[in-house]
Amino acid sequence: MSVDMPERQKTQLEKGEARCPGAPSTQEIIGKDKVAAPGWVCSESYQFLGDQDISTDRYIDPAFAKTEFDKLWTRTWQFACREEHIPQVGDYHVYDVGPYSFIITRVGTNDIRAYYNACLHRGTKLRASGTEGRASEFKCSFHGWSWNIDGTNKSVMCQWDFPHVDRRKFSLPQAKVELLGGFVFINMDPDAASLADYLGREAKAHLDAWKLEDRYVYLHVSKRLPCNWKLAVEAFLEAYHVIQTHSQVAVSNGDANSQYDIYGEHVNRFISTLGVLSPHLYGKYTEQDILDQFTLGDAGALGDTKRTLSEGGTARQVMADMFRSMFEKATNTDLSGVSDSEMLDCFSYTLFPNCFLFPGISLPMVYRFRPDPRDHRKCIYEVLFLRPVPVDGKRPEPAEVIHLADTQSFTEAEGMDPGFGAILDQDTDNLFLQQEGLEASAKRGLTLGNYQEIRIRHFERALEKYLAMEPKRPDRERLQSR
Amino acid sequence: MAACVSEGEARVTVEKSFSRVLNVAEVPPGTKQLVEVGGKPILICHSNDRLFAISNICSHAEEKLECGRMSRGWIACPVHGARFELATGRAMNPPAVKPIATYEIRIVDDWIEVAV
Repeated sequence: MSVDMPERQKTQLEKGEARCPGAPSTQEIIGKDKVAAPGWVCSESYQFLGDQDISTDRYIDPAFAKTEFDKLWTRTWQFACREEHIPQVGDYHVYDVGPYSFIITRVGTNDIRAYYNACLHRGTKLRASGTEGRASEFKCSFHGWSWNIDGTNKSVMCQWDFPHVDRRKFSLPQAKVELLGGFVFINMDPDAASLADYLGREAKAHLDAWKLEDRYVYLHVSKRLPCNWKLAVEAFLEAYHVIQTHSQVAVSNGDANSQYDIYGEHVNRFISTLGVLSPHLYGKYTEQDILDQFTLGDAGALGDTKRTLSEGGTARQVMADMFRSMFEKATNTDLSGVSDSEMLDCFSYTLFPNCFLFPGISLPMVYRFRPDPRDHRKCIYEVLFLRPVPVDGKRPEPAEVIHLADTQSFTEAEGMDPGFGAILDQDTDNLFLQQEGLEASAKRGLTLGNYQEIRIRHFERALEKYLAMEPKRPDRERLQSR
Repeated sequence: MAACVSEGEARVTVEKSFSRVLNVAEVPPGTKQLVEVGGKPILICHSNDRLFAISNICSHAEEKLECGRMSRGWIACPVHGARFELATGRAMNPPAVKPIATYEIRIVDDWIEVAV
């Protein structure tokens, strides 16, 4: 049996149902593209999660940051490196998060492990942070205790003096490791759910479709930011800020009509269409203006290309066609099966807590955010650009990390597109003002939009879930080589 | 190729002595070869489309670098993990702080020559 809804309720929107008035939806824009988008692009998964303020304490209280180290970072899956960083057996890459440090090591062709980076004698790090190399053993530089690359103890200097040390029980403790899309993920919690369960079936299917294992790190830039790590994460979770922060790109970005989705507890995304005018600017620009002012993420692959609009054509279609042919040439890849939307649009996915994946072609980034263990008002931000591995199958070596000084512009990183570097400067230049403003404010909460800022609320809900748990600190007995 | 050195008040120019060590084909991209010149162990490294000549001895604990990983213009000591820039010898990370020696290198008629 069905009953017609009263007219009043048909027109009165529930919280979270409102969308940018007078503008096409993201799906309506994509639906007009010449090369159709795949299912993962076309789906929608929004959910209203409440409209209460988010407490400012979590950004400004050093005790809160300490709690995160005990409860959050010890339980969540984190991208530690790419597989290409450790291509051969014995290769290692040191990953740090907060006070924790791991040696990510390839032990066999399909066997990668993450050892706690500390000697079991008197605690010296077995490898310096931020380094990589190849080892046949991990020997401590202090007294020479050493471990095989499979984590078992190899030798104890002057064993005669350590009758109380059973070397069979002195294997290096390990974090859990899983591989996905060419990324090496680790989790310090021996009881953690699998990465697939953590991501959820639908989000995992999206990641599988991208085949990011067929890409390589073309550019890798790192910079310390003057804010709590969560403020940095949240600066990239919405396109709501584009018209004010990046007015130069709004001419070619459907910002206010971007689409926001959440998947389970740990994954969310937005799709922000490019090659279309911002709803904020309707009536002020032509299609040729949109074409002329298009700003790219990986423009280095394109070179100088003339942008011409055909009679009755759209800027979006011209850019999609141009991207496809130019990227194919520049990167020696076949993109004939890639949709216009994947060529053009900004797909921003977050894997809680600190990893962003952008599977598009023109905006092919990975972001990672890590807290500074010594200062809750600082964090480390990394941006990586992934390009398709050339069709000849020869995988280039991953780019060396470019470490920018605190005062440097992203445009100073060699290989960074100047337009995109300027966008990152604009994003990050807001952050110290926000950090200081939160500390100065008489208002103790952040007020969020129901739709455009749903990813921030979703992120904070996941954070709250972990912080409600008991502390979980590494337990050597449970982390020995398995 | 020449180098200027001081000798008291006077400055004299001394021709560097290059030694022929390997054919370029013996050091393909991404590989390294150990040679000995004037009694010194020297690694010839081919990385980032360039050839480099460096000391084979780590400045930290005097371990041999020859089995270390070489990538993107650096080499890592296989024992304790110190890394060095191939171009300058600069120590990039602990436990090393001092640089390693680097040597001039040139190619003459497909032969690699090193000045020690």
